[in-house]
Amino acid sequence: MKIRTMKYMVKEGFVNTYRNLLMSIASVTMVIASLMIFGIFLMLIINFSYNLNRLKAQMEVVVFLENDATQMESANVELKIKNDERVLTYTKITKEQAFAELVTLYLEDTDIIEGLTPDFLSESFRIHLKNVEDSAAFTEDISKLDGVEDVTYPYESLKKLGTVLNWINAGSMAVLTLLLIISVSIIANTIKLTVFARRREIEIMKYIGASDWFIRWPFVIEGVIIGFAGALIAFVLTSYLYNSVESFVNAQTFEYGLSELVKMVSLGNVGGQIFVIYAIIGVVMGSIGSIISVRKHLNV
Amino acid sequence: MIEFKNVTKLYPNGCIGLQNATFKIEKGEFVFVVGPSGSGKSTLLKLMLREEIPTEGEVYVNEFSIHDMPRREVPYLRRGLGVVFQDFRLLPNKTVYENVAFAMQVVEASPKDIRRQVPVALALVGLSKKAKVYPDQLSGGEQQRVALARAIVNNPSVLIADEPTGNLDPETSWEIMNLLDEINQRGTTVIVATHEKNIVDQMKKRVFNLERGRIIRDVQEGNYTNED
Repeated sequence: MKIRTMKYMVKEGFVNTYRNLLMSIASVTMVIASLMIFGIFLMLIINFSYNLNRLKAQMEVVVFLENDATQMESANVELKIKNDERVLTYTKITKEQAFAELVTLYLEDTDIIEGLTPDFLSESFRIHLKNVEDSAAFTEDISKLDGVEDVTYPYESLKKLGTVLNWINAGSMAVLTLLLIISVSIIANTIKLTVFARRREIEIMKYIGASDWFIRWPFVIEGVIIGFAGALIAFVLTSYLYNSVESFVNAQTFEYGLSELVKMVSLGNVGGQIFVIYAIIGVVMGSIGSIISVRKHLNV
Repeated sequence: MIEFKNVTKLYPNGCIGLQNATFKIEKGEFVFVVGPSGSGKSTLLKLMLREEIPTEGEVYVNEFSIHDMPRREVPYLRRGLGVVFQDFRLLPNKTVYENVAFAMQVVEASPKDIRRQVPVALALVGLSKKAKVYPDQLSGGEQQRVALARAIVNNPSVLIADEPTGNLDPETSWEIMNLLDEINQRGTTVIVATHEKNIVDQMKKRVFNLERGRIIRDVQEGNYTNED
């Protein structure tokens, strides 16, 4: 396509949007509403999975040796852990260290640990895996070794949280689809007004020998303008809303001492991506809407 | 060059548009298509423009085969054809100049060509002085002349006119018909569907006479009816 043709298309697109100002505003509002609702779901998902991953990363597998495990057995287990590819880092907790921890824990109630010696406790290894998904398999392998009394890992509860996340995902997809359909049909209706106002022009263009895309482009651009304007405003509103929610949540978690447990993703990290997602959805909705509304008039 | 071979057009509602029409129009000919309303004049023209597709038979216009032509080629067929309608079909929000230039913009002509050719077309139809006027400030005859300028500005090899004088008084009708004749003298094939008995009889052109979808008569230098 030639550049002056492109200029003509873009100009026509803007003129059309302006001539239909009221309906254009209605369509933009609809795009904003859909994107905002979608955005709320999206931010929920982002924060949920972010926190889930954070929790997962903090989780450690703890291997307890039998109280009377030999030095040989202990060294063997440590070697196995050291050489296992799934292991990210590990720390060995000797009987003495475990006892020391216990002592600090019960500093004020010394009678509880009175008479205890490090020998009552077991050696253990605290292990961070590279991938939490490996926990079950890793645990099974290590349990088989001689001298291992017990292996604990907190994976099951996380798995349940993962299921919840999947449900939120599916739910937001369903909501998004529904909203997209509604928005597209509203945009299509708006552009139908322009198409109707210009049906004579379209007819003449067809007789003169304009290609379908030559006729379609100005309307597609009108749709894109509506979609993009909606995306832009929706993004500004979402950012504002999100920042308020973030500071509220941060204040609350701080008050209840949960700051370490729950952390919200800061908008600075995901804002760019959110905007791109909004813009793509808005522009695609607009284009589809206009193509739908011009289709009928092209068959002359 | 236009050729119809055993062309039949049936509409979905059962109406007969055209029945078994066979004819050939050579480059540079002037043809009147006459007949009562509903006799198939418009169908004939619509088939040439590929507004309709033949139910049976073959239609050739320039180098295109209308009967088996992909939709995407339609614009290129139409760029070789100029069309004029009874109701002028000008854009009311564009000036005379802009209306004619629009036809060139649509086929992506360069601004240079547009500036050169639009005045030529307007001069040919005698409207150079009204270039900046809007269609609603013109008489019917003048509006039809603008439509003619628009139809020929891209130098089509064929000009198709569907009752171009249907809304005009007799004197203005003559002006338009003379213009069509002049355009024909310059080498453009002209096909005119019309009810103007007087004009057809006097101009002594080739005449197709249609009745109920059949071409019942095709004569050179013919009259509107059989009665002579």
